[in-house]
Amino acid sequence: MAVVRTDIITDTAARDAYVHGVNLLKRESTALSTTAFGIPGPPTVVHTYDLFVIWHHLAMTSPVPPGGDWMVRNGAHRGPVFLPWHRVMLGLLEANLQRVLGEPDFGLPYWDWSADGSLAAPQSARIWKPAWMGGQGRPITTGPFVFNAGDPNSFRVRIETAPDVTLRQVDRGLRRAFGRPTGSLTLPTAADLARTFDTRPPPTGDPDLATYDFTPWNAGSRGFRNQLEGFRGPGLHNQVHRWVGGDMGPASSPNDPVFFLHHCNVDRIWEGWMHRHGRSYRPGMTASPALRGHRIDDPIVSPLGPAATPRSTLDPTAVYSYDVLP
Amino acid sequence: MDPQALTTAAEPAALADYLAGLPQPPPDHQHGPARSVREDAYQGHRIVITTTYEITVDGRPLPAHVGVSNDGEVHCHALPAYQVRSAVDIVRALIDNFPDDFPEADGDPGHGGHPGHGGHGEHGGG
Repeated sequence: MAVVRTDIITDTAARDAYVHGVNLLKRESTALSTTAFGIPGPPTVVHTYDLFVIWHHLAMTSPVPPGGDWMVRNGAHRGPVFLPWHRVMLGLLEANLQRVLGEPDFGLPYWDWSADGSLAAPQSARIWKPAWMGGQGRPITTGPFVFNAGDPNSFRVRIETAPDVTLRQVDRGLRRAFGRPTGSLTLPTAADLARTFDTRPPPTGDPDLATYDFTPWNAGSRGFRNQLEGFRGPGLHNQVHRWVGGDMGPASSPNDPVFFLHHCNVDRIWEGWMHRHGRSYRPGMTASPALRGHRIDDPIVSPLGPAATPRSTLDPTAVYSYDVLP
Repeated sequence: MDPQALTTAAEPAALADYLAGLPQPPPDHQHGPARSVREDAYQGHRIVITTTYEITVDGRPLPAHVGVSNDGEVHCHALPAYQVRSAVDIVRALIDNFPDDFPEADGDPGHGGHPGHGGHGEHGGG
């Protein structure tokens, strides 16, 4: 049965379930240790939640096609597969939350950051209150993910990306640093989001936004995907990572549970775009093999195997829907 | 999307085994200056532009690879949501985002970017 994904600000039952489920996954051990993932240091048990940190890092460091340049385009970012890959990732986290909660009807909530970006003081928005995600700090000191070194059950960051793009072990609290000048002073606003759907002729809109993506299929492309990923236009997805800061900055950004709420909203915006323009995707399979990994029937970097392609993600309605589309 | 396939792949053992089997990326740290190569084709001509960054922070080589995209913006793989106008901006962002790797400098109130320094990240993303 398909679940319904709701706004975490208004659906406090989904909020509480999400917080509880994240903390359960943080405490659930897998059978593998850090050694199995090539992470230096003493072998340490890897927990289920942290698998998603590792997966995001590895997808980012997987050049597609193999032998390509990960700085140009990788298995999860800087190209057309950005939205399909994250849709699969969210689906697997949602399935794990349903399992540990014992709630098959649980739907991952989303954080509508454009609503908060329109506030005079987004750092004071409800999402950062103790009952939701807690606030900022190094480490954060409020909310359900506060670190207590002496409590093995408290939330903690165990694996992070280093500047040289390797994974390393740590044991510390979660960090956020809102609106730093080197990140982004502001969150995207409702007006920024509206521009993403405005396909009128310039100067008012951009007709290219009615098309999913364009050559050269990278961080310089025209079209909807790159507008939403944020290398073009107001910044959207990227801008949220930079505004939250702290652990949301590096490739290990799933360390912050707000990552999944953010990407659920990104996925909701994609669904809103498809509601307007159809379940379309580019590039097709006639595109250059140099784009392997980003074409419509290429396998996604995921445990779902070759059947998981961008095409297979275009219609998620058998799995979930959103209460409201933008 | 197939709900049953998602549920099966989401099993922690299945996900862990899959991830453990992925190729481990080589370390990104460069010994010596970081090279960034841009390629383009224009009117039948092949363009190759090699940019070399030699960056130190507090006298030590920067342990991160900085690259430049075809539109001239600078990015760093360790910070996927950043693509900025200058190498100075990306290094400042690295200092802010990796505080354990860049311990606070003594007597430098501007360390890590001060509020008056604008222009960062306005084009950015990653």
